[in-house]
Amino acid sequence: MAQKLKEVDVVIIGVGMVGSIVAKELAAAGYKVVGLERGEARFTVPEFQGPAIHDELRFDIRKALMQDNTREPVTFRNHGSETALPVRRWESFLPGTGLGGSMVHWNGQTYRFQANDFELATRTRERYGKDFLDADVTVQDWGVTYAELEPYYDRFEYLLGTSGKAGNIKGTIQPGGDPHESPRSREYPTPPQKEHFQGAMFRKAAIGLGYHPFPQPSSNLSQPYTNPEGVKLNACVFCGFCERYACEHYAKSVPQTVILPVLLANPNFELHTGCQVQRINLDSTKKKATGVTYIDRAGREFEQPASLVITSSFALNNVRMLLLSGIGKPYSPASATGVVGRNYAYQTMSSVASFFDQDVFINPFMASGASGTLINDFAGDNFDHSGLGFIGGAFIGAVNTNGRPIQYHPVPPGTPAWGKGWKEAVVKHYNHTVMFSLHGSSVSTRQNYLDLDPTYRDAWGQPLLRMTFDFPQNDLKMAAYVTAKGVEIGKAMGAKQVAGAPRKGPYTTTVYQTTHNTGGTVMGNDPHTSVVNRYLQSWDVSNVFVIGASAYPQNASWNPTDTLGALTYWAIDALKNKYLKNPGHLVAA
Amino acid sequence: MRSAALGVGCILAIGSGAVIAEVASHATGPQTARQGAPPAAAVCQGCHGANGEGNPAAKIPRLAGQAADYLEKQLRDYAAGARSNEVMQNFAKPLSDADRGAVAAYFASLEAPYAKVEPTATDAQLARGHQLARQGSEAQRVQACNNCHGPDGSGVPHSAPYLAGQSAAYLAAELQWWRQDVRKNDAGKLMSSVAQRLTDQDVAAISAYYESLGAAQGTVSN
Repeated sequence: MAQKLKEVDVVIIGVGMVGSIVAKELAAAGYKVVGLERGEARFTVPEFQGPAIHDELRFDIRKALMQDNTREPVTFRNHGSETALPVRRWESFLPGTGLGGSMVHWNGQTYRFQANDFELATRTRERYGKDFLDADVTVQDWGVTYAELEPYYDRFEYLLGTSGKAGNIKGTIQPGGDPHESPRSREYPTPPQKEHFQGAMFRKAAIGLGYHPFPQPSSNLSQPYTNPEGVKLNACVFCGFCERYACEHYAKSVPQTVILPVLLANPNFELHTGCQVQRINLDSTKKKATGVTYIDRAGREFEQPASLVITSSFALNNVRMLLLSGIGKPYSPASATGVVGRNYAYQTMSSVASFFDQDVFINPFMASGASGTLINDFAGDNFDHSGLGFIGGAFIGAVNTNGRPIQYHPVPPGTPAWGKGWKEAVVKHYNHTVMFSLHGSSVSTRQNYLDLDPTYRDAWGQPLLRMTFDFPQNDLKMAAYVTAKGVEIGKAMGAKQVAGAPRKGPYTTTVYQTTHNTGGTVMGNDPHTSVVNRYLQSWDVSNVFVIGASAYPQNASWNPTDTLGALTYWAIDALKNKYLKNPGHLVAA
Repeated sequence: MRSAALGVGCILAIGSGAVIAEVASHATGPQTARQGAPPAAAVCQGCHGANGEGNPAAKIPRLAGQAADYLEKQLRDYAAGARSNEVMQNFAKPLSDADRGAVAAYFASLEAPYAKVEPTATDAQLARGHQLARQGSEAQRVQACNNCHGPDGSGVPHSAPYLAGQSAAYLAAELQWWRQDVRKNDAGKLMSSVAQRLTDQDVAAISAYYESLGAAQGTVSN
């Protein structure tokens, strides 16, 4: 039987970026907060130190920082007619685990979405007519606007110390920044990171083609920084071990380097690691949560009562937690009813490889996770989609993050996949190739969704999350279009050979693409098409808030983290200034 | 601490003024280590030793086997004032770019026995130095020195100088200068960020620890 613990004000499921920020704010406001983290506690010293942290085999290949899928995988299928099978080896996406969450192994790419993205359905209808979208596309407005989120973006970026160049401050276009960005209230906290050689080549070619290159906004900092919490960060050394690794230099903005020192010093907060939350408990009305039940490392079961439950896990796990707890109606694609698991979306990643002569030295290993140069000319709705048959787009950039020897070996199409020919090609091209990333948006559709697997269970006996996903036609058309633009830039850079690789279906979980899984507990103003209201509060159980990229109704052309940070501070404001003063539904259903 | 180091240097600098002028006027363009000591090296050897072994007691660093690009950058920075030291500025300024490259390459090519140092550090100091070098300190938010300076402080070419076997007095003086923002000729203020979070005890411990690593390697013959 579960041992019942003393009731607290707030219990937080998952102590990653969102959990750390929410816990810090609520503990500082005087509430007793318990954070339950499934993984282990870990810090820059000693866990993230060299040389062990640069072990490619351990971290790149064996995914040491990721969710343990021997105990808790997800199952996957492309279509509802297939039987899903467990993903036993992470490749396509890499959900993290442990204190600090997935942010510990992020690249630090810190983009805002554009104003248009938050009102995508409305703006698309306005600009292209009501019949423009494919019939299966279920994109919708977020219920919150960019203007409302701007102060929270600002707050999050100043927490991180993000290094970048503004392109639009209060409506005034800034030279050197991204002219397409929606207005920001002030400059980035720190200047951009140094541009690497391939970034300079890209910039020159892009300008020549009439585009608008700008430095990638990076949370691997360009200079020492003390954030508003009083926590100090160092400058990045361009070692090229960001994504899939933790930073040993206190230079990458992650919970450990920006907020955990403040949170962990607050006696109102208790951190419990190695705690696998089984479910959010509801009272007999099913309208109120009473706390959570979890199992610790030793297999002991505990009930943690709390007045307020925040689920702040990785997007996929937020969805699963609601399904396991019976909060909200599960989505059914057959009837297109229900909401939990609906509008799962991803990111449509394409690439362009430009192969140069042997006298052009790229030195790809000198990079950070976000030290590139890119354009937004083909991202979002920054170009006219009339007659193109799709919405969305991609940023195109020389944003290669590393030259790590086991994982990075660009070779031209037609190269043998192994053996002598492959080895020779790797040697020849390793230091003479520029890889562009084409980071594309992802529409939600009726057929892509998440639910509980009917067959497979985790190590604790709970059903696994089942993912049903394939690339929508909309996104495949988008990928083909933007990849052709990327190829033109590669040619303008003077490459000897340019190979575009537009993303093609079917989607597979066996090839790395990105860990930008979104949706499933989407936010909105209509309880029939959203799980949480505009403040990320459950429509069904008012003392449950679900904060994560699971709230995105569809995914935009940029990395999701900055927007999630903004939503986190936005939700905290609602919690502190509205909900906790007068608990109940913040929006009438 | 700094004035003491300068004092020693000044005496030598005054004595060698004429030599520098002569070296500068006889500079004959790029030379490589393989061709033997470039003329400009003679003046360096006056303080840094015939084989670049340094003079620990006088806080004069060991140069033997140090990465050439690091040494060359330091000469450039001394000349330009980016690394502040009047003595070294006087030596470095008259050198041509080619001379600086040749001198740097020459000392990089040398091997030298480690100077015999009477160990004064306590076991506790060495243990603390070992911890900072290999692990760092979460409480102070200081990362391991070896992250950048290589395994056991052996240096990372093109990036960070070796520390192993370097004079403790020199290392301690430099750390204090990084700390006071007197020395700031690195990228991203990395060294001052770290040094400012170290205590005086940490500086003594880490310096003694790295010096001890040279002794541990014994003498290296040419």
